[in-house]
Amino acid sequence: MAYWEPIAELGEAPLVRPGSSMGEVTHDIARVTETRAPRGWWMCFLVAVTFTGIFGLCVCYLFYRGVGVWGNTAPVYWAWDITNFVWWVGIGHAGTLISAILFIFRQRWRTAINRFAEAMTIFAVICALIFPGIHVGRVWLLYYVFPIPNQMTVWPNFKSPLLWDVFAVGTYFTVSLLFWYTGLIPDLATLRDRSTSKVRQTVYGFLALGWRGSNRHWQNYERAYLILAAISTPLVLSVHSVVSMDFATSVIPGWHTTIFPPYFVAGAIFSGFAMVETVLLIARTVFKLHRVVLMRHLELMNKFLLLTSLLVGYAYSMEFFIAWYSGNQYEMAHFLVNRPTGPYWWAWAWMIGCNVVVPQLYWSKRLRTSIPVMFVVSILINIGMWF
Amino acid sequence: MTKRAPYPVPAAREPWPGSPKYWQSLEHRGRIDDPEHSDHWAVNAPEFPKGHTDTPPTEEAWQVSRRGLLGAMAATFAVVGAEGCRRPIEKIVPYTRMPEDVIPGVPSHYATVIQRRGDAVGVVVESHEGRPTKVEGNEVQSGSHGAADLVTQATILDLYDPERSTTPRKGGAAASWGDFEGELHAKLAAYEKDGGARLRLLMQPTISPTVLRMRSALVARFPKARAHTWSAVSDSNAREGARIALGQPYNSLFAYDKARVILSLDSDFLQTETGNVRSTRAFANGRRMRTFRDTMSRLYVVEPSRTITGGCADHRLRLAASDVERYAYCLAAELSKSGVPLGAISASVTRLANAEGIPGKWIATVAKELREAKGHALVVVGARQPASVHALAHAVNEALGAPGASLTYTPCADPDETDNATDIKALTDAIAKGEIDGLLILGGNPVYDAPADLSFGDKLAKVPFSVHASLSFDETGERCTWHVPRAHEYESWGDARALDGHVSVQQPLIAPLYGGRSEIELLALVANAPEKGAHEAVRATVRELAFASRGLTGCAPQGEGKLECHDAAGALVPVRAADLERDWNRGLATGVTVKAQPPASSPAARLAEIAAIIDKRRLPPRVGAGALEVTFAPCPKMVDGRHANNTWLQEMPDPVTKLVWDNAAILSPATAQSLGVASKDVLKISVGDRSITAAAWIVPGQADGSIALTLGWGRRKAGRIGDGRGFDAYPLRTVEALGFAPGAQVTKTGDEPYFFAQTQEHNSTEHRPIAMETTLADYRMRPNFAELDSPPPRALPLWSQVDYSKGHQWGMVIDLNACTGCNACVIACMSENNVPVVGKTEVWRGREMHWLRIDRYFVEDPKLGASADEPLIVNQPLACVHCEEAPCENVCPVNATTHGPEGLNEMAYNRCIGTRYCANNCPYKVRKFNYLNWHNDSVWKETGGLPETMQMQQNPNVTVRFRGVMEKCTYCVQRIQSVKIRNQRENREIKDGEIKTACQQTCPAEAIMFGDVNDEGSRVTRWARADRRFGLLSDLGTRPRTTYLGKVRNPNPEMA
Repeated sequence: MAYWEPIAELGEAPLVRPGSSMGEVTHDIARVTETRAPRGWWMCFLVAVTFTGIFGLCVCYLFYRGVGVWGNTAPVYWAWDITNFVWWVGIGHAGTLISAILFIFRQRWRTAINRFAEAMTIFAVICALIFPGIHVGRVWLLYYVFPIPNQMTVWPNFKSPLLWDVFAVGTYFTVSLLFWYTGLIPDLATLRDRSTSKVRQTVYGFLALGWRGSNRHWQNYERAYLILAAISTPLVLSVHSVVSMDFATSVIPGWHTTIFPPYFVAGAIFSGFAMVETVLLIARTVFKLHRVVLMRHLELMNKFLLLTSLLVGYAYSMEFFIAWYSGNQYEMAHFLVNRPTGPYWWAWAWMIGCNVVVPQLYWSKRLRTSIPVMFVVSILINIGMWF
Repeated sequence: MTKRAPYPVPAAREPWPGSPKYWQSLEHRGRIDDPEHSDHWAVNAPEFPKGHTDTPPTEEAWQVSRRGLLGAMAATFAVVGAEGCRRPIEKIVPYTRMPEDVIPGVPSHYATVIQRRGDAVGVVVESHEGRPTKVEGNEVQSGSHGAADLVTQATILDLYDPERSTTPRKGGAAASWGDFEGELHAKLAAYEKDGGARLRLLMQPTISPTVLRMRSALVARFPKARAHTWSAVSDSNAREGARIALGQPYNSLFAYDKARVILSLDSDFLQTETGNVRSTRAFANGRRMRTFRDTMSRLYVVEPSRTITGGCADHRLRLAASDVERYAYCLAAELSKSGVPLGAISASVTRLANAEGIPGKWIATVAKELREAKGHALVVVGARQPASVHALAHAVNEALGAPGASLTYTPCADPDETDNATDIKALTDAIAKGEIDGLLILGGNPVYDAPADLSFGDKLAKVPFSVHASLSFDETGERCTWHVPRAHEYESWGDARALDGHVSVQQPLIAPLYGGRSEIELLALVANAPEKGAHEAVRATVRELAFASRGLTGCAPQGEGKLECHDAAGALVPVRAADLERDWNRGLATGVTVKAQPPASSPAARLAEIAAIIDKRRLPPRVGAGALEVTFAPCPKMVDGRHANNTWLQEMPDPVTKLVWDNAAILSPATAQSLGVASKDVLKISVGDRSITAAAWIVPGQADGSIALTLGWGRRKAGRIGDGRGFDAYPLRTVEALGFAPGAQVTKTGDEPYFFAQTQEHNSTEHRPIAMETTLADYRMRPNFAELDSPPPRALPLWSQVDYSKGHQWGMVIDLNACTGCNACVIACMSENNVPVVGKTEVWRGREMHWLRIDRYFVEDPKLGASADEPLIVNQPLACVHCEEAPCENVCPVNATTHGPEGLNEMAYNRCIGTRYCANNCPYKVRKFNYLNWHNDSVWKETGGLPETMQMQQNPNVTVRFRGVMEKCTYCVQRIQSVKIRNQRENREIKDGEIKTACQQTCPAEAIMFGDVNDEGSRVTRWARADRRFGLLSDLGTRPRTTYLGKVRNPNPEMA
């Protein structure tokens, strides 16, 4: 009995429907890259490219005029830019979590979604990296943040959480990329072997690094993958903890909060799962992967979302509680009054509504197994987490 | 049990009912009492500036055009390739012949003087390679005492105004000086035939002896010509009052430092009245508290609208301007009843004393205080109050023993000046009758600011030959047949007599930028005076004055470098020409050329004449619901409109309303409510058949039924900056109602609410203990009140502390008790540090760049009788406090802001990449970000960037910051460095007081002190240990280098 086979004694069920063979699964997945993309994909792609183009134009204009073209101003000099950064980094957490932690805990249902999650992580982190890059006043000097030996003999400031961000996100990106790529090697080899055109053979052949599927390869592969998973696991906790320190280490009421690291991590996993689910649902429909991504997987994800939503809800309530319990009026002012009733009350309402209230729908089995509901909920969670 | 002290939570501002409340605006105040939020009083401060949550009106919004966007994209790609080419492409030429005494990079300083209303403010101007860059006060000159007010500070920008008049113009078309002189001489020759009967001269009130001498020369050439005087903002009423009371239009020189009780009747002597700089110094000195044992003066202010003087008052009564006279009579009657000898006035004032609507305490208690402080009491009257009140004040001051003690009378510079309003009326009448062929308008802008009922502008067209000499081709220049550019005060020779009688010479610092000529030169041209140049004329005047001061007459050259002079008795006194030359040079170097004469014995008040004038007065009708009153006051920034094109002044927040780029019709909350008006509503204000439109702004503390308008706004031809800004109040101002106009009606026009930008809600403090204050009685019981309310942290620091005990350690002390909130420091800082101007919409967004701001809080304290409708004010100047544990330094990822070895929190602009993290983490919100390339991309955008002339103003020792860079107060590090370099070269220690920051230098109240905190004897060290000290938000553990001293009020317990 192979290790991937379900242990009936433990109540485990097969990951794919009985009757599906390995070959069918391989075919289902590999076909996505081999056939012409369906029309749905092209439509989505067109929309994405259009928005990317608009974004590019806007960034040109931003560089030409300066950050003043944004509405951002005193007393909080960050807005859209760093919010986006934090949001994307958060989303980027799902990949590693699903791949590494679930791998280590032998949650085998993860195999249905881990590739999505990892790819999404890579792209989310790339998206995240754009924003600190374009938000600075003088983009052309951005390289000052890297510890590059220079004639001025000035180093970056290692006390600054923004610099920690550079390292944390940089490390995370590197490890995630390696992890993703390492995991991909056997699959790339499969694609290579199925390739019919010269180009595909060459490209996949190059990327597959000469994988032949020998026992030795598998042994090294499993070991490397496990090591990378072990390296990634603390990163899941560290990256968003470090990002949260941008705020937690400051002296500004509302930012100066020790609960931020775990709270940010919980939020990150929450939003990451929601994003994976959004992407997954689209891909599942567009590429007709119903045989691979089962309702059971989706339901599991929804349970996970419910759990993390409760964690996030707990973090929120702790914030409020501590603000009150501290007796510090400025904290109280911030958390108990200004946010819920100040000029940005609507943002606060979206945050609470989408992140805490909406996921409670998943207590109902019927709702957490309904595709439209989960699509809407995952989008709402993504919106809520932005605030 | 832990032994660690619990984390200290800063003292709450409102832990008990009835304690003082601090708020920044009425909107903010409204939320405090909101029952929904009553538990969380701390939070109702508006957290964000309006620009955070709202969008600006479309016409103001910053819109991206298609062309602009394409251009931007093209430029982006171009710039990517061109990075690194930073050499100038223009040809530059070095000195071929080096001018003497000019060392490149080493500025020179010249003493000169400028006229500010009726007083001369001595200034020292810093000049870099021949271009003046910064104005500072002159310590030797008594009108300045080393300080300058905000307008004086800003005059340097007026000099470089790119929209100044550049050429003579005939009928609007450019002409040459030769054309002008030719035509002028031809006309003058014609006028000479009948003695100049058809020639008139219109000037502004002057204190320049040479101008007066030239004017007499002109009158000598044209005996029948008449010189008229007009200024929209003048001291005519005060002069008239002095003439009635004392027989001559004496200047009153108040020694506020010697007075114990001061009563201001509608006088803003700290800001907009004559002699404000010296008054502020004296006033602050009278209230300086070194320890709790010191005494301080008590200020009562009766005024219709808020001024900074009212903000400094211990007791302030808001009373319509037309009721102030009645109040003065009531008070005089009460004084007389209680035995203060007022002679014949007693009966007159008692007859008119109708105390209706005036709180009894304000009569009985104030009278008692004044009486008890005999010899140390002062009554000061504002310029817009009628002459009778001024005359009465002279009598009261004399009866209270002020003259000789805290009041000195000095002869005025121009005894011939008559009442400005009647004077210009006489001129206009003469024009209307066709009696005038030639009119020379030297300075001023009467078409814009003359009383509206004269319709001066229309009548001017009847004058066949009218000449307007002015700095800018303005509303008046447009309507005259000729306009000629006048030289700026920094471009020409001149002189000025200060209030106390000394004369200073005004030196040119730069050759006229646009070939303008000074008033003296123009007068000399018309008068055909022997001295052709202003320099020669001023020297002659100064020589005469110097001789006169020594009692010499009739001087003639004697040969061998000697002059033959005679004293009053006719005896021959030889005077060496070399001595004269030495005195002249010394005068130029110090800024005081002819010393003041010791005052003659005080003239006695002529009680019978005063009584006669009061008997003739008919009190204006009471202000009521149907009959409002409009008051006119000179704008603290624009004065009468002459500085309208000055970007610094436009962008400076008004000291009271904190509005920028606008004025407003100020209403009290009650009046607004009864009229159904809200802030920003556009109002039609009419008096009789004249009306204006102005947007409303509600200010608590404004007298009910009184609408305050400041003059100088709504210019039509001031230039790109000043045109159409704010609301012109002059159309309501008539000869009879120059100060205030009763009987006004207000209707709403129903237009869209006006778009105001103001800074009062920016940088909310959310009620942290920021501006500490107490009463004198409480201060004596708790000398450390400020530190008790703002305790330093007890938690131990996280890391080892830097040793700051060696070398120079710079620090600052700001005394909230001395600060009047005048904003001079704000302009001084802009001028010194090349601080850019961002424009109205960007200020509205919250992006103003002022390194130093004055936060103004309204204080509502039942104990002091300050209710929501009549709150007190506390001002707090706030710049970077240079924390020893600076939150900004820790978070900068690129080490762009670091701590210097001398305790400065330094900004390396070249290193800054603009993450803005430091500004986020600054608890004081003193860091300012260059969101755009402000110098070129804001108000001067349409002209292609900051005009070249204005670039000449910029301080070469301070980097001009590019976009994307954070900036903030540097403690004027360039000044510290230049003194250090000089002293190192001369091998001597830096003495305390040698380094002065720009804000400290200009502060008329000496509220800002700077120096080495490691120097035990330095002023800053001594003051930083004063019992009133506190660190701003010190509970955060930032250890600021700027120490604040708490404000102390001196209320009279009997007034409570």
